Amino acid sequence: MKQLFYILFFVLNLNARAQDQTTFIFSKMDIEAQHILWDDTPTMLMGFTAMMSASIDIPGPTLTYFEGDSVELKLRNMSQGTSHTIHLHGLDVDQQNDGVPHLSFEVGHNETESYFFRAPHPGTYLYHCHVTSALHVQAGMYGLLIVKPNTGINETWEDGFTFDSEQAWMTSELDLAWHEDSIINHPHDTTTMEFHLPDYNPDYFLVNGRSEQQLSEEGISIIASANEVILLRLANIGYYGNTYRFPMHLNARIISSDGRPLPDIEFSDSLTIMPGERYQVLLQSTYVFEDDIEIEYFNLNTLSTTNTQLVPVSISGYFSQVENQVDKIKLYPNPSSNNVIFSNEIDCIKLFDSKGRLLLTKHHSDRIDISELAKGIYLLNLDSETKTIIKN
Amino acid sequence: MNSFKLSIVFGLIIASNLFASNVEKSLYIISDSIQTVDSVSVPYLSFNEEDVYSKESPIISINSGDTLKVWVYNLDSIIHNFAVLDFSDTFIIPAGDSVYLEQVFMDEGLYIYHDPLNYPKNTYLGLAGMIVVNDLDVQNFYWNIKEHNAQWNSDLVNNLDVDWGNYDPKYFTINGNSNPHINADSSARIIGSVGETLYLNIANTGLSIHSMHFHGYHAEIMYSSAHANHVGRIKDTFPVYPMETLVLKIEPHQPGEYPIHDHNLVAITGNNIYPNGMFTTILITP
Repeated sequence: MKQLFYILFFVLNLNARAQDQTTFIFSKMDIEAQHILWDDTPTMLMGFTAMMSASIDIPGPTLTYFEGDSVELKLRNMSQGTSHTIHLHGLDVDQQNDGVPHLSFEVGHNETESYFFRAPHPGTYLYHCHVTSALHVQAGMYGLLIVKPNTGINETWEDGFTFDSEQAWMTSELDLAWHEDSIINHPHDTTTMEFHLPDYNPDYFLVNGRSEQQLSEEGISIIASANEVILLRLANIGYYGNTYRFPMHLNARIISSDGRPLPDIEFSDSLTIMPGERYQVLLQSTYVFEDDIEIEYFNLNTLSTTNTQLVPVSISGYFSQVENQVDKIKLYPNPSSNNVIFSNEIDCIKLFDSKGRLLLTKHHSDRIDISELAKGIYLLNLDSETKTIIKN
Repeated sequence: MNSFKLSIVFGLIIASNLFASNVEKSLYIISDSIQTVDSVSVPYLSFNEEDVYSKESPIISINSGDTLKVWVYNLDSIIHNFAVLDFSDTFIIPAGDSVYLEQVFMDEGLYIYHDPLNYPKNTYLGLAGMIVVNDLDVQNFYWNIKEHNAQWNSDLVNNLDVDWGNYDPKYFTINGNSNPHINADSSARIIGSVGETLYLNIANTGLSIHSMHFHGYHAEIMYSSAHANHVGRIKDTFPVYPMETLVLKIEPHQPGEYPIHDHNLVAITGNNIYPNGMFTTILITP
């Protein structure tokens, strides 16, 4: 369902370039704990949704615009009494639209207000609530905002780098104590900004709101082909630092930060991103391999690493080869929960999991039954062609 | 080299020396206390320009090529040290004694002078200030940023051990102040106008990493003592590592009042009260 929201938003926002755009977003709060963490622990969230009826997820919907778009971002506050705002982090909007209480406007309960801005430099940005920001951000009120260049969606900026695919990771942490009803469901007093917060001792360390085994299941992992250029958009909305350790074969190139190109590209297998920062990294492997991207979460006071998350990377096949053969074999539906059907009969079908383990071999068929598989990403070797499928 | 070229070289040397000057300073080490945002008195030490206590160590501002001549007097009852971080030798100052440092600063930049004895103890307790070497005729602002755990300050001045590996600060300050008092400090609160060039000199003399986020504007990194490869980057969020110095150039393109704050949002609190931490605003007039 979350992927559907992203797709809907992407479609809604990519219908034209550099034009007037109106986007609706809703601020909501869970009445009871319903967001399920990797170990099946439920927790309460505040958050943003693209539709009134949608459940809150973290991060909120990704907002995508083209450079130069004139945007009206309408916030409907459906939460339980608390005011909210949208701070457009890094967009350098004017004071009125900056989303900071007492310096601009708040959106009260059951009210709808609009933020107006022009999408500036292409790049990766954030949005988040700035009311009692330490609490509301931790509660889940954040998302990514992406500005694409007018020259083409697969270019970083005008005369910048071209890429074949892109992914965006937003890191954060979650402290269950801050999500207790007595904390998150706080009474809103418009006469004061002061609020007493618990100590911060995060229990969960997240990439796009997921962690541990979810990093494979939720499509966060990198599945690509050799020679494919991947633009990885990275943003840290947490209160810890992150150090990324990229496998050597990904040939990581750090190209921009905070919506601006770096004066000098850096070739590095590690990158540290502090709270509020964003970076864009190009990855391109000339090898077929499987590994993980390590993300260390470190405490900014003790400077010690508290947790490490591993995001799987699977590079298989060669991009130019796959591209040339795209028209040879088509498959549908994808994602699928039952059968995946091919456009023609395949002599030899091999199904692999994301770790490269062979799960099934089948001959002379135009379909494969994946109903018994767990949800996740799998690789199909169809004669000499490799495809990625998603079981949902 | 013929005599004509030689005379030009001598001329240049003489000309450069005409602009360089001697800057004489006195610093007095005094032990006292600091008031937190919620009026808790916390043991603290500082360098002072006179033998009268002030919580904030002075900003020493000179031009490149200048010779800084400093007498440091230890008015505390225990031994202290003095050094310019990564620049000078370390001087030992017994209680009641003094030392003299004479140092030429050839390059523009931002340096930290401090007491490195039993590091990080004495630096953490307040004995750290900044030397700004800057030849530009621009409006400068200065942030000495740090954090405190009030109990630790008490324990340290009483010679009790603390576990540096479990540092958990509760107060977050710029020039010794937390929100809402930072804006009352004219050296910290950035005020300017559209089109003006403003420089912000930041020294992190605390133990934590701070990630300072600007609303309204991007700024350019002009100097970084720890990450020279970051110079020239234009960003809205600036990590500052412990004992790192950073110089930022801001050229405001729009008027308004916008927050600047640590985006480790826990650091916007003071003793767990939001928003009583590292939060200030920049004020730009048309």
